[in-house]
Amino acid sequence: MREGIVFNIEELTVHDGDGVRVTVFMKGCPMRCSWCHNPEGLKAQPELLYKRARCVGCGECQKKCDHEDCKPFGRCLHVCPYDCLTVAGERYTSERLASKLNKYKRIFDACGGGVTFSGGEPLMQWEFIAEVIDRLDGINIAIETSGYAPMHIFKSAVDKLDHIYMDIKLFDAEAHKRHTGCDNAMIKENFLYLRLSGKPFTIRTPLISGITDTEENLSAIKEFIGDAHWEKLPENKLAGAKYDMLI
Amino acid sequence: MKNYNKLKEYILTKQHRALRRRVEDDLPALYSAEGLSAEERMTRRFEYLCAHETPVVLPDERIAFLRTLCDIPHIYTEEEFAALKSEKRLHELGFHSNVTPDYEKLLRHGLLYFCDCTDGYGARSIDALISLCDRYVTEAKRVGNDEVATTLERVSRYGATSFLEALQLFRVIHFALWLEGNYHVTVGRFDKYMYPYFKSDLDSGKLTLDEAAMLVEEFFLSFNRDSDLYPGVQQGDNGQSLVLGGKDENGCEIFNELSRLCLEASGRLMVIDPKINLRVSKDTPLEVYMLGTELTKKGLGFPQYTNDDVAIPALIELGYEPADAANYGMAACWELIVPGVGMDTANIDALSFAKIVDRALHEDLLSCETMEDFNSAIRAQINKEIELICRGTDGLWFIPSPFLRICMDENADGSYKYNNFGIHGTGACTAADSLAAIEKYIFDERSLTKEELIAAVDSDFCGSPELLHKLRYETAKVGQNDDYADKYLCMLLSFFADSLEGRRNCLDGIYRAGTGSAMFYLRHVEDLGASPDGRRRGESLGANFSVSLFAKTGGPLSVISSLTKPELHRTINGGPVTLEFASGIWSAEDSIEKFSKFIKSYIAMGGHQIQLNSVDLETLKRAQEHPEDYERLVVRIWGWSAYFTALDKCYQDHVMQRQIYSM
Ligand code: SF4
Ligand code: SF4
Repeated sequence: MREGIVFNIEELTVHDGDGVRVTVFMKGCPMRCSWCHNPEGLKAQPELLYKRARCVGCGECQKKCDHEDCKPFGRCLHVCPYDCLTVAGERYTSERLASKLNKYKRIFDACGGGVTFSGGEPLMQWEFIAEVIDRLDGINIAIETSGYAPMHIFKSAVDKLDHIYMDIKLFDAEAHKRHTGCDNAMIKENFLYLRLSGKPFTIRTPLISGITDTEENLSAIKEFIGDAHWEKLPENKLAGAKYDMLI
Repeated sequence: MKNYNKLKEYILTKQHRALRRRVEDDLPALYSAEGLSAEERMTRRFEYLCAHETPVVLPDERIAFLRTLCDIPHIYTEEEFAALKSEKRLHELGFHSNVTPDYEKLLRHGLLYFCDCTDGYGARSIDALISLCDRYVTEAKRVGNDEVATTLERVSRYGATSFLEALQLFRVIHFALWLEGNYHVTVGRFDKYMYPYFKSDLDSGKLTLDEAAMLVEEFFLSFNRDSDLYPGVQQGDNGQSLVLGGKDENGCEIFNELSRLCLEASGRLMVIDPKINLRVSKDTPLEVYMLGTELTKKGLGFPQYTNDDVAIPALIELGYEPADAANYGMAACWELIVPGVGMDTANIDALSFAKIVDRALHEDLLSCETMEDFNSAIRAQINKEIELICRGTDGLWFIPSPFLRICMDENADGSYKYNNFGIHGTGACTAADSLAAIEKYIFDERSLTKEELIAAVDSDFCGSPELLHKLRYETAKVGQNDDYADKYLCMLLSFFADSLEGRRNCLDGIYRAGTGSAMFYLRHVEDLGASPDGRRRGESLGANFSVSLFAKTGGPLSVISSLTKPELHRTINGGPVTLEFASGIWSAEDSIEKFSKFIKSYIAMGGHQIQLNSVDLETLKRAQEHPEDYERLVVRIWGWSAYFTALDKCYQDHVMQRQIYSM
């Protein structure tokens, strides 16, 4: 059975598909967008999160402990009276994640809704997600992806999912590379597949002023995607980081 | 041309309060000297107050009546009242409260109709009130407000023939019921009994929809004229609850155009009265939930939802007639009462689940060998406590209210159809989490001894930071949709319901179990130490049917999944799930739809009551520092909303400690 790393599971999320949604944030992203609001989603490995605003500086967490799971962090995770320290990045087997998600079925059945995989970049852990989906009990599944994944993975995902939200951030290859660290040829190819797949999908562009939010970029994207369903997300609607990173 | 905005400004800036004066005569002494009966005193006082009220007709108003006497003297001297209290079991202030008049009949007939069917006290009260109305007519003519003069001329005597008249007559009766000394006088199913007047005026062209909307808003404003004079635990706790929507006796949804106007008027007015309740069911169209959510977004803590699918069958099961059950309304906060016929005392006492666990921990745990033993001990403790609570209600007596009696529907012998007692249940989630912790560490893992747990709880976890962390943050909690803790919530509520089943109260009514807290989420921790779930001494319980304040829930979906597991139809006295959301959530354009579906899912899953709040913690912090800048900032407390800065600090702090969800 495969294992995956999840950095958060959020309930009742918006912008993530039809009805009442549960969004699973998968850890790890191959891109490094300069505007990224999800720092805890980037690295593939677990990281320590620290809620600075709640910390009273009592020092309890800095005392030595012998918990196995505290070792990588050099702090005790099991003693803070205000719960300031948590680890972003929980390992799940596909079975455990599926059984957790299946528990929402009662709600989804009541009024519609489903699960959305997001990230980071969920396609980095696609084999794991596919295994999870196979164990789900007829739940609607959407994904939010940057589209930056090898074609065979992207295809397999599109075929398995109910709705695909895919970003096209920058059309110009050079600019794309400069602002995200990655080339966009694969993304464009994937889009062409998506358009012909017959699956419901939405293209999204985060509006970052001076970067993606330029006349030139937006009209190039428009020309490329044609009359595909397109959402432009204002910067203030992008999820913000909720924590300070300690390490 | 009347200027409603001027009127609104006048009332909201409290200028009308300058017209108030105090009662000069020492009524209790006079009544005592004459040795009058309770009923005679109530009638005399009402006559006195009606005669001494100064009619005030404002130039821009269409609906009149304003309290000018700011105090209502007691009917008894202090000594007399102390003696009475030792002799009889009084509830709270001793006067009737949490009642919904039969507005349908009152509006239809007017007051004269009831002179024949009431006793001398009632007839005198009607006379007194009609005279006051007549003096209002004279005053209205004097100041040139002909509309008020015309409306009041006949409506109090003969009943309403138009929407405006119906609203004015309601206002007169509501005013009079408070003046008589009753409190937590509620509004009932406004869109049901008012609808015929509204519709007929619209159909005949007498009113346009916009004019009707304006009238509703002015009418809502009238609930905020005298409310600071009404008694309550805190400013805002005054029971002016209004109910919209829901099924009628034939099972048809009554939500109508007037219901919609009410939701919108409340959102425009942005004040804490009247408190808006919405009755819904799984059949209620999503659009109704969306209108409700639009109001939630305004941040007043309205509406509060109640599920007909749960409430109606449960009331029938408790012995209410089907037509009465279908017609339920809301007492002051969230307790179900039937307009006209319900003389239930829906908040007579409260069971503290956290205290039950604490007692069992100290008295029984050491002798329990298994979790089942401990569960039996919990049941026995609940039974014992309920026995005491019920015995404490014996001999309940209310000071009679002759005018209120006219507004209700008595049986032929002067008794009332429903005299049931409701008992709140506080801290059920704290208790359930505590039981989950005891099962896990003592009986399952055996990583902790009974003595160690008791000692840690008694020391308030001083010196055991690791245990405290484990109990608070690493143990199953209600709100995580985990049966490990949820099963105890189910167990506790069913023990509670069992303990009341079959009991009759001193008025030959029954007892109803509920999940409400009222102010007990603070009071019940005053004499309580820490709890086995890691709650430290002095930390409050959740308000109403909420998860513990520090529980790391999975989010709002997990919370409602947990909280819909118990057999809620057995604990319907009242008490909503309360969830706070950061006000920032509304910036997403699909948030209204998401929230509407969220509420609808909760209802479809068999939830009983729910209420969402939209709060901004930063604003609350600033308001604590600079109250003068935030006079009109509204927050929800338990079954009512309040101006944040007018609250005692303990109530302010509790709001700020609640878990706030974002999206
Ligand atoms: S234990 Fe918690 S509150 Fe104390 S110093 Fe560490 S993080 Fe801060
Ligand atoms: S693709 Fe998304 S998660 Fe990855 S770096 Fe860009 S903004 Fe951040």
